[in-house]
Amino acid sequence: MILLDSVTKTYPGDHKPALDSVSLHIEPNEFVFLVGKSGAGKSTLMKMITKEETPDSGKIIIGGIDLDYVKKRHIPGYRRRLGVVFQDFKLLPRRTVYENVAFALEIAGMSGKEIRKTVPKVLELVDLTDQSKKFPAQLSGGQRQRVGIARSVARQPKILIADEPTANLDKLTTEEIIQLLKKINDFGTTILVTTHNENIVNTLQKRVVTMKDGRIVADQKNGGIYKLDETPRPKLTRNMMQAPGHALKQRPRRVIQ
Amino acid sequence: MVGNKEKKIKEPKVKDEIKEPKNLKKAAKNGLKVMRKTRRRHPLREEGRIIKYGTKGFARNFWLSSAATVVMSITLIILFVTVVASVILTNTADMMRDKIDITIYFKPETTREDLDTLTETISADSNTKSVVTADSKEEYEKFVAENAGSEEIINVLDDEMKALMISKMQATMRIKVYNVDNLDSIKYIVENDELFVKLVDEEKQPTYDVNQVEIATITSWARIARTGGIILAAVFLVISILIIFSTIRMAIFSRREEIYMMKLVGADKRFIRGPFLVEAEICGVLAGLIAASASYFGFMWLAPKLAGYGINVDEILGILQSSKLVLMFLIFVGLGIIIGRISSRLAVSKYLHKA
Repeated sequence: MILLDSVTKTYPGDHKPALDSVSLHIEPNEFVFLVGKSGAGKSTLMKMITKEETPDSGKIIIGGIDLDYVKKRHIPGYRRRLGVVFQDFKLLPRRTVYENVAFALEIAGMSGKEIRKTVPKVLELVDLTDQSKKFPAQLSGGQRQRVGIARSVARQPKILIADEPTANLDKLTTEEIIQLLKKINDFGTTILVTTHNENIVNTLQKRVVTMKDGRIVADQKNGGIYKLDETPRPKLTRNMMQAPGHALKQRPRRVIQ
Repeated sequence: MVGNKEKKIKEPKVKDEIKEPKNLKKAAKNGLKVMRKTRRRHPLREEGRIIKYGTKGFARNFWLSSAATVVMSITLIILFVTVVASVILTNTADMMRDKIDITIYFKPETTREDLDTLTETISADSNTKSVVTADSKEEYEKFVAENAGSEEIINVLDDEMKALMISKMQATMRIKVYNVDNLDSIKYIVENDELFVKLVDEEKQPTYDVNQVEIATITSWARIARTGGIILAAVFLVISILIIFSTIRMAIFSRREEIYMMKLVGADKRFIRGPFLVEAEICGVLAGLIAASASYFGFMWLAPKLAGYGINVDEILGILQSSKLVLMFLIFVGLGIIIGRISSRLAVSKYLHKA
């Protein structure tokens, strides 16, 4: 569904590449966390997928579309095939919740009748039916992010990309948003989420791809553990740590003399 | 067998995960084909949505829209004032030029036939616009008509007096010319034609020498008014466009994030640009109507006062009091729409390309 092969990108004026020969393959219906410190290259990778940036070398194939073939005039059409959730929500401030969601369908050329049928269903999915006439400024952070998610899934994309979707949210709201993304993933959408939040990564037990200095340094399937200040441990070490009675798990005992 | 088992246990490396489909190129091209196919275009539906969001945008950004409309109205009024001032100045200068004529005085014995022959001669010159002549008798009648209200003069005009006056009054020829700057050809005819030389009164010289200074002054004023008016109108047109452009650009600058957001979720340029253009057009229509109304009522109030100072306002009044008034409103609105649309398009394009 998402395929990156030896993708390299160096921004003008930088000596170090933002992405250094990155290769990644995400299967359909997968839920993948992309983790790493700031400057690891996560956002650049996301920008490559949304075609905000183009790689210096390498190949990117998204949903069977080779991005080399996507010319400038095709970019809007390509982006309409993706669902994108942003850290800062990127909602249209002068449009209501309903209009923000409807916008995604209008630009796809959907009829008014279809839009009137689809938008309430999507708002129901994100539990915002009673907020549909409000403007983004009248909503809380969590509600705004749910509008962002509603907008991104309204067109029922096969791929949903979320760039730090919980960065500006509290713990409770973060859980809500992640559960919502999981629900969307259960409907069959491939999801790629970048995050700093180790709690959600560790509790959800999904594939975790770790980036450092523009490279993928680890790719843990089915329940990776991530610590922000550490490079993820190999699976073997993790299993050892989780094993009952493991030395690292035991509290150090005070020796009383 | 053992080797196979080992392979299964081994954790796959990232690089091993990537298996390119065999017909990748074909698949990628097919993907693009599907993408193009699903792009359903209904121009009327899209246009309707653009107008809807443009109108809503105008209402929801009321203060910003109002500010843009007011600035646009003021600049359009300034433009109107410049054009009108130029026309008025030119017309007034022309009116004064029209009052300039050359008067040639003939001896009292000059007959009507002589005057007709002289008229024919002078009319042959290309600079002659019109010629009006009067023999002694006609000059006398003109004198009587001009002094009809003065009983003191009329009472003394008995038959004897009348005969004396007619015998003494000079016949006249008043020539209006196209170009008051160049009277040489007319002067040449008057000084060289036999009949002119014979009949021109030697004591009272033609007026073209006397009025030369006034002619030069008025002519230069008329020229300044005409060329200066055109330059001033052009300068104000450019200033107006720049002011309106800056206002709209500032309004759009404050909403550049929206443009970026729309681009990221896959909106076409036309769909992003459209509502901004509609908003600018609404501003243009309202500004055009406000400026045209203000200009109309303002000029109608000021016109009599200007006319009192001898300023020629007839042409502008003629336009404002005829069906051309509708045309004037249409020009104002059209100008508002065009300037608004161009400014908005340029301003949006800047952020459309950046995003």
